[in-house]
Amino acid sequence: MIQFTPEVVEAIITTASLIGAGVAVIAGMGPGIGMGLAAGKATTAVRRQPEARGAIITTMLLGQIISGSTGIYSLVIAIFLIFS
Amino acid sequence: MVQFSPEVIDTIIKAAALLGAGFAMIAGIGPGVGQGYAAGKAVEAVARDPEARGNVITTMLLGQAVAESTGIYSLVIAIVLIFTI
Amino acid sequence: MKHIDDPVRLQKEILKKTCYLAVIPVLYSLVSGEWATLLGLLFGLLIGTLIFRLRLINIERSLQMSEGKATSFIRNRYFIEYAIYLAVLLVARKNPAVNFLATAIGLFFIKFTVIGWVIIDLIRDAFNQKLESFKR
Repeated sequence: MIQFTPEVVEAIITTASLIGAGVAVIAGMGPGIGMGLAAGKATTAVRRQPEARGAIITTMLLGQIISGSTGIYSLVIAIFLIFS
Repeated sequence: MVQFSPEVIDTIIKAAALLGAGFAMIAGIGPGVGQGYAAGKAVEAVARDPEARGNVITTMLLGQAVAESTGIYSLVIAIVLIFTI
Repeated sequence: MKHIDDPVRLQKEILKKTCYLAVIPVLYSLVSGEWATLLGLLFGLLIGTLIFRLRLINIERSLQMSEGKATSFIRNRYFIEYAIYLAVLLVARKNPAVNFLATAIGLFFIKFTVIGWVIIDLIRDAFNQKLESFKR
């Protein structure tokens, strides 16, 4: 029968939670890609219709507010995992 | 035949749950990319027809709020995995 | 939604509505006497507001660039924001005087305001349309 000493148990759980935290932070990549896409489209849109500049900036700002929060979710989980 | 003591099994399950919580949050990539794509398309639509900007912005925000739910699912699963061990 | 053509006025409007909406949890934490929750909420609201203002400045700057340059500019700025969020949440977790979950909720507050505003507007529009059709 295999048995672990308490230090080994502690080490396995700490390792797993640290690896999990590192993987969770990968999700922060998504909003960056999406926001960059929107910004690239906005520049061409402003070139085409300069009089709609205010409405374009407003649309992008509201879009960024909503899409930025997925990254914070992953950060919350990562910090829970590191300190538990 | 290899046999594990109950403490070993408990340790393995805890470690797997914590790892799984981390992997669950990878799902956060999807909504981020999708919401950014929707914002880009909405910007193009506003440039093509500035008269309809109110409708376009409302539709974009509602679509993004719905797309957000996938990220919230993964968040809920990760929290459940962390706090049930 | 009001002030769609003027981003600066829209920003002020959203911040005003956020202040009104944030009164509820702040009053609740004051009445129940949980100072850690109150501090966390105020900390999160402060950082969220500052990042909201930073985003408008970044968008204004990115519109003068070419398409590829704007894409990479906004992406890099997002990663700087992400590092700021990481620092804020780490501080909130390390410091026992600040509640961690309250800080996270404070960071999300502007988003709640925007979604609530859009949904209330949508319901009001649908109601007015119904009223018009009944009048005819």
